[in-house]
Amino acid sequence: MECYVEHIACHDNLKRDPKELIPDAALRRRMSRVVKMAVSTAVESVGGVEGIDALDAILTATGYGCLADSEKFLRNLIDTDEQLLTPTPFIQSTFNTVGGQIALLRHNRCYNLTYVNRSHSFEDALLDGLMRLSDGESQRILLGAFDERIPSADRILTRMGLGRKGELGEGATFMTLTAERTTDSVARIARLDFPSEPLTEAECLARYGEEPTAELIYAVDGTRELYPTRTARLVAEAARRLSAERREVIIYNALLGGTPTVIVVRWVG
Amino acid sequence: MRIAVTGLGVVSALGVGLEENFAALVAGRSGISLTPSLLQSSHRIPVGELSLSNEELHRRCSLEPKGHLSRTALLGILAVREALRDAGLTDLRRVGLVSATSVGGMDLTEHFFRLFKEDERSGRLRDVRMHDCAASTEAIAYHCGLGGYRTTISTACSSAANAIMHGAKLLRHGVVDAVVVGGTDALSAFTLNGFKSLMILDEKPCRPFDESRAGLNLGEGAGYLLLQRAEALQRDPYCYVAGAANSNDAHHQTASSEEGEGAFLAMSEALRRAELTPTDVDYINVHGTGTGNNDRSEGAALKRLFGEQLPPFSSTKGFTGHTLAAAGGIEAVYAALSIARGVIYPNLGFATPIEGFGVAPVTTLQRVDVRTVISNSFGFGGNCSSLVLTQQ
Repeated sequence: MECYVEHIACHDNLKRDPKELIPDAALRRRMSRVVKMAVSTAVESVGGVEGIDALDAILTATGYGCLADSEKFLRNLIDTDEQLLTPTPFIQSTFNTVGGQIALLRHNRCYNLTYVNRSHSFEDALLDGLMRLSDGESQRILLGAFDERIPSADRILTRMGLGRKGELGEGATFMTLTAERTTDSVARIARLDFPSEPLTEAECLARYGEEPTAELIYAVDGTRELYPTRTARLVAEAARRLSAERREVIIYNALLGGTPTVIVVRWVG
Repeated sequence: MRIAVTGLGVVSALGVGLEENFAALVAGRSGISLTPSLLQSSHRIPVGELSLSNEELHRRCSLEPKGHLSRTALLGILAVREALRDAGLTDLRRVGLVSATSVGGMDLTEHFFRLFKEDERSGRLRDVRMHDCAASTEAIAYHCGLGGYRTTISTACSSAANAIMHGAKLLRHGVVDAVVVGGTDALSAFTLNGFKSLMILDEKPCRPFDESRAGLNLGEGAGYLLLQRAEALQRDPYCYVAGAANSNDAHHQTASSEEGEGAFLAMSEALRRAELTPTDVDYINVHGTGTGNNDRSEGAALKRLFGEQLPPFSSTKGFTGHTLAAAGGIEAVYAALSIARGVIYPNLGFATPIEGFGVAPVTTLQRVDVRTVISNSFGFGGNCSSLVLTQQ
């Protein structure tokens, strides 16, 4: 199974303002920080809200979900002894809030799923996308991932010793997947694998590299920007590195102590 | 390729295991209690709670209580082990797991956070290490010995139905040789207060599809099915997953549309995939939460799809409460038993049809041949999923 990738957008490199990306002011104002960040990134990746109309699947991935809203609701319920709570943070704490909001922007009724599986969340959503394209169930899929960084989680992860494995980070990355190459294709995802054992850098290149110039992004703990769905961002990085001289980038993900995953990204010319 | 259901496991307010659950369903005995007894909350409202403490659940799983697993994981382990035992599967190396949850380890996080909130150096880390959704999936896979691909789906109250749909797809694509699919969710003050703040909890036992319905009762539990390719079977399965579909209502973050567009699309598409028509359906296990909005919306979708030939339908939420991400799993287990044992369950709490609506659920146990069942699960974010289970 393979697919083509278009328009990869990252939250910290958006060309347009969230006001322009999410024109519905009422909807935008109700969104929490991470929801706004993820939905803006999603809309930029499809080239504006009208781009949502062409999607026939919306796949989102998050390792920890909407942490700030979860914390806010929990804090409120303890502080008020479970009285007179406002529902907004509870509603937005739901893991599929981002996917639901993207659908709501243009009343898109297509298949809409959310994977919440630690450092595999993005790859699991990608697998679903690859299967849908291969089955002919979808032609144009929005795939994205998001995770937010909040002080409490930083503190807890640091106490658990995870902070020592790298600087904690956050991010939202969205892209469009198609079965066939289009004029907007920026890369081809040639392979997705879930090896049963950790692999060394040499093993990764030997097992997955087909091009002599294949480059490896070996994401293990100790790197900067540690968050569960960081591989989505590494796909953007891989697409940037591709060229006529560098036709293949292999992403090895073993972040946060998870069993590894491998994504092979190839140049489309 | 046909996908067969070869093992079932369930835990709910009705008890631990298929037989305790089935006995209560056929006896019309609800598991909903008027107030929580284990859940620590100031709200004295009905819940579908399993009357076993976390310590007792550890023992039931033959695990040391000091292992300190979340309630969500413990409920899941019990149900998954039953499903594996039921199917008699022994080689679990390439058996996958697609597990759904919406609260994850929130039951423990709540305890942690009370202390952490006062002093960030306090609160025991063992009470927060299972917070994320995947922690329950990992614990289930580890304690049940599942060695294949695993993932976690969280789309609110339709999560487990989506897990079942996804597991069938993984089997068709050969990602796994067999796969355990379903969901688990424990009661928590977080979700109880969440639904309370939305003002959709009934102060009395819920009454799905009744004119006087005033909301849902929250429940807890886990329901899992073992799916295998039909060609690989040693014995007759319970039923087949003939079709499944997910659609988005795209109307409102928490409310369903008046016309039930998402529900209509999910049911229609699931039937189309099963190559069946509405007249083939013998029973619908509806989502039927008992909220004003859901039942009216789902009812509208049923009327639109089935017209005057609406097959017998019932909600089993009056037995279990609404078990959120587990609901689609628990209800798929009940639907599989409906086909295998030829029963249609009564819809508890129903007396008067919704005014001007003209749809009434089954209120007494029916013993009939059930060949095709639709199981509906709808959630926040407009997420609507329908499964079609068949005898052949």
